[in-house]
Amino acid sequence: MREALKRCSSATVEAALQFRKTNDPTHVSVVVIGVIERFVEPSLRPKLHSADDDLRMVEDLGIDSLTMMEIVILVEDVLQMQINNEELRHLRTVGDIKTFIDCKARGLPPPKPTRHLPIEHIGSVMPIQPPFLFLNEASINHQGAQGKYKISGQEFFFQGHFKDNPVMPASIMIEAIGQLAVLALLEGVIPVEEGKVVDPKTIFFASSEGVRCHRICKPGDVLVISVKPKRAKMPLATFEGSIRVGQEKAVIAEEITLTFGTKDFVAEPVAPAPTAAPAPAPEQAVVSAPAETPKPAQSPLAS
Amino acid sequence: MPKVFITGLGFITSIGNDKAAVTQSLRELRHGIELYPPFQKPEIPVKVAATLKGFSADSLDPEDWTYPERYTVKRELIRSMSSNVLYAYCAMLQALEDAKLSEADYSNSQTGLYASSGGSPHMLGNMMQRMHTQGVMRCSPMGIVASIAGTLNFNLVAHFKIKGASCGFSSACASSAHGMGFAHDEIALGRQKRMFVVGAEDININSILPFAGMRALSLQSDPNKASRPFDVARDGFVGTGGATVVVLESEDEVARRGVQPYCEVAGWGQASDGYNVAISHPEGLGLRSAIENALRSAKVAPGDIGYINAHGTSTPIGDISEAKALRAVFSPSGARPAVSSTKALTGHGLSLAGAMETGFCALALRDGFVPGSANITNIDPACADLNIPLKTEARQVDVALNNSSGFGGANVSLVLRRA
Repeated sequence: MREALKRCSSATVEAALQFRKTNDPTHVSVVVIGVIERFVEPSLRPKLHSADDDLRMVEDLGIDSLTMMEIVILVEDVLQMQINNEELRHLRTVGDIKTFIDCKARGLPPPKPTRHLPIEHIGSVMPIQPPFLFLNEASINHQGAQGKYKISGQEFFFQGHFKDNPVMPASIMIEAIGQLAVLALLEGVIPVEEGKVVDPKTIFFASSEGVRCHRICKPGDVLVISVKPKRAKMPLATFEGSIRVGQEKAVIAEEITLTFGTKDFVAEPVAPAPTAAPAPAPEQAVVSAPAETPKPAQSPLAS
Repeated sequence: MPKVFITGLGFITSIGNDKAAVTQSLRELRHGIELYPPFQKPEIPVKVAATLKGFSADSLDPEDWTYPERYTVKRELIRSMSSNVLYAYCAMLQALEDAKLSEADYSNSQTGLYASSGGSPHMLGNMMQRMHTQGVMRCSPMGIVASIAGTLNFNLVAHFKIKGASCGFSSACASSAHGMGFAHDEIALGRQKRMFVVGAEDININSILPFAGMRALSLQSDPNKASRPFDVARDGFVGTGGATVVVLESEDEVARRGVQPYCEVAGWGQASDGYNVAISHPEGLGLRSAIENALRSAKVAPGDIGYINAHGTSTPIGDISEAKALRAVFSPSGARPAVSSTKALTGHGLSLAGAMETGFCALALRDGFVPGSANITNIDPACADLNIPLKTEARQVDVALNNSSGFGGANVSLVLRRA
């Protein structure tokens, strides 16, 4: 095993040996981070030590789908576990991987995988519609939701905001965070009473706290929006939210609170239920080398 | 049709890791053959190889490899390489610098890359073994692209962001000569403005020793006598590896960029023996046709040829059949071009041979010398009528011919003209 981990830190080797000896799952995260670090370009390694579980393997760490498999094979070897491709394809962030491997090591079922929602799905469930919808795509996992919006420059408000100087209004950025929270509510991030679902017609903005803007956003920028539920008690649900552009912090909202109501759950075979999101593409052999620039991959195997 | 010129060269060879060292070795007839440590076992009858200096790439883990300091290869690139790709990567960097090409010059739809290597039996064997012992899902995800015969083009095209024509050639020892020929055509037909022609091979036990089974390798233990094409005592070829990159450009590009080319690729021809899977035609019929086709394509007469870089691998049968082909083409007109085999110095580079020897001819045409045929003590009487210089001659020739022959009786002849 020392041979397998020869390019990893001594702490990683030590944790792996301890895990082998004691089967104590607390060592798992050190091993996983150590293995990931070994495959990340040296210049990007400091990021890993920021202990940010939201770090994305592809976009932030430059790990492509093939490297992801190298990581998995090494983790499998060292921790003596099997990870199948289906499980692998849902792991996008360092946190996803840590949680997943930790559950594996403890013999627990892994958390529900991240679901990716394309624009068609978002449009069909949201009460908010263009030209006031500020989400192009979104994903939902057990921790919350992440969405993206590319500022096209064609948005109606740029005619006046500002004169000869198109700048994304801060209020609209907060609106985008709120919209992602609405989507998260509709996708069941907050548990509601058995037999009930959140009624899209009842969701409204209630309050926000601790909102700070750090960066001016302009046409061409891709807003990466995140929300995490903080607390919920009918009829209020509170989220923390943020927007990043690339590596830069754009907006932080410590709290955004929505009110909502529920309605009886009615099975509608035609309505697009959450599970109607398009199934991941069938397993494909990786037949060509991935592009050097990291790009968001729907699945770790997409090439 | 636009003329096609050679404007850049890169070498990782047993006789030098850049064009200056290669030129010196050709002028001084210094060979690159030595007792090869992995062969020094009683059960291995083959003892010598034409080794690369400054590289260590036998490990199955590319991150263990060492190479000259002037190169750096990122992990994300080296992980999908076999050793022949590493050599070619280094040769490619040299060729880009030599041809003064920027990324904007070569990463576009008008620039392609034709590559030839036999793949990496070394890496492939490891992957098979791992698959059988550790399980199917424990094979490296890079196993295929690092080992199969296309490994060279897969890696180089991706790493250098080549956007034009690309593919690999698989005619064994004629492969990169085919690559040269078809790359010439891409430019002559106006499909591309610039082509990289790459030949590369691993050099390790698994790339060389399988040829011992077909009794093709020299069993000599004296490095100075092992590769001696046209000598009566020759007993087989000496294995080598490495890489050569040749940059071809259209005359318009040469003019636009204001570069001084090495020489023109004036034409080429090919023909097949249709005779035996591994043995060349005893009368050299396929090679003879290939040469005739090449001369016709380049619109030159036999008498115009000043130097022939022979395929001449130092096998008993092959050298004779090449001598017969040359005699049939040149003797009727009384032409006596100088003939030499630089494999006496380099050993036989298999898929690499065509590109490497084209590179040697380009150097000879530009710098005004004719490489000698080294290590001949007693010339084989069957070749004695050919004009085989034993030493490198400092004189300018105008047109050179480069022959290559591969398994299945594939023969390629390239015509190079002084620019």
